[in-house]
Amino acid sequence: MAETRQFGDLATQLIMESRRSTQTDTLLKYNDSLVRSLIREQRDLEKAAESFDIPDLENPPPALLIIQTAISRNKRCLLAYHSHRVDRLRDMYWAVGGALPHLLSNQDIRSKLSPYEVDYLRQYNSSVMEFRSEFSHELDITASIVNPPKDLHVLVHVVRDCGVIQTELGSIDFQKGQRFMVRRADIEHLIVQGYLEEVS
Amino acid sequence: MAPPPHELEDEETPLQKLMRHWMNERHAPDILPAQEELLASLLDHIRRQSEAVQLLRGEPSTSEEDHIRIMLVQTEVERVKFIVRSYVRTRLFKIEKFARFIMTNPEIQARITTAERAHASRHANLTDKHFHFSVLQSLPETQSHLDDTPIFMPPMVTQPDESVPVFVHALRECGPINFPDGSSLNMTPGYISLMPFASAKALLNRGDVELV
Repeated sequence: MAETRQFGDLATQLIMESRRSTQTDTLLKYNDSLVRSLIREQRDLEKAAESFDIPDLENPPPALLIIQTAISRNKRCLLAYHSHRVDRLRDMYWAVGGALPHLLSNQDIRSKLSPYEVDYLRQYNSSVMEFRSEFSHELDITASIVNPPKDLHVLVHVVRDCGVIQTELGSIDFQKGQRFMVRRADIEHLIVQGYLEEVS
Repeated sequence: MAPPPHELEDEETPLQKLMRHWMNERHAPDILPAQEELLASLLDHIRRQSEAVQLLRGEPSTSEEDHIRIMLVQTEVERVKFIVRSYVRTRLFKIEKFARFIMTNPEIQARITTAERAHASRHANLTDKHFHFSVLQSLPETQSHLDDTPIFMPPMVTQPDESVPVFVHALRECGPINFPDGSSLNMTPGYISLMPFASAKALLNRGDVELV
């Protein structure tokens, strides 16, 4: 089969994955084997390109032009795939309010990441934290920007134990099944991370 | 008769100004000039208000009615913070998107804050590194650069696209605005028009129009 494969088929598959990921709004598993085969194809193409003997630089042989185009296209697709993934990872990071441990301790998500992507998230996190520290502690820029706050307080239902949290009313020990009326700003991050649920 | 420019500025409260800049920022494809002074003064104000609220809440003589007032103030503070946050994050999103371009473009660098510049530089580095480790280091040497410019392909560095259309709402008399195709337009206050961002940019920076 490999003989009949056209240049660019693998790259197209990779781009289709990115597209599927966008259309279904899910993070797909990092396709290590496809990325590796593409890189192998790139090396083969490079060898093929080097084997040409170019007597006339002004008029390169058409076959070489095709190989060069294939190389550029494959490379572009490889980068696009990785770039699409990190964009998605950054979105996920912000969706949980910058709670990196929460994201990385999720086995389902973790298994879909390449080791480099885990590193990327860690370093991205520290970069954002550095940026955040430019603002006073009054303003947490990682808090939600989806819905403007309507009420100061919110009635929450505890879905998972989350230990003792400092709030305006003093420390509260949030245990599963309990309900509390608390200041939204104190616990918003816990709603985002799925520890608490808003009771409406 | 439209009021002279300076009167218009005076009528706007800092919060209204922030909201205008926030909407502009959210609609513009490019990063707009940073509003550091405005932001700093608003944050200062929020801090003072929160401190006052804390003091008053601790005061036993505060009446029931005052408590309701305090609650209103607190809610308002939360809502202002929301806008500040959204504004800062909108800029951050664009800065990450254009990080590599920003690092090579002194004109944009002059428009953003020191902290934003630092973040852009960190982000450009981080992205480069990620590409390097995930892809480029395994490719043959001749292919392992990030800035090649093959013919027939768009450049690899993402740049702000100034040709995207934006809705422009005139706050003052402006015009004539000249468009690339040779036509021109006069706008009276309240007039709304759709035009490429590039044509609206100068008006926006002068505060003659806002994006809606």
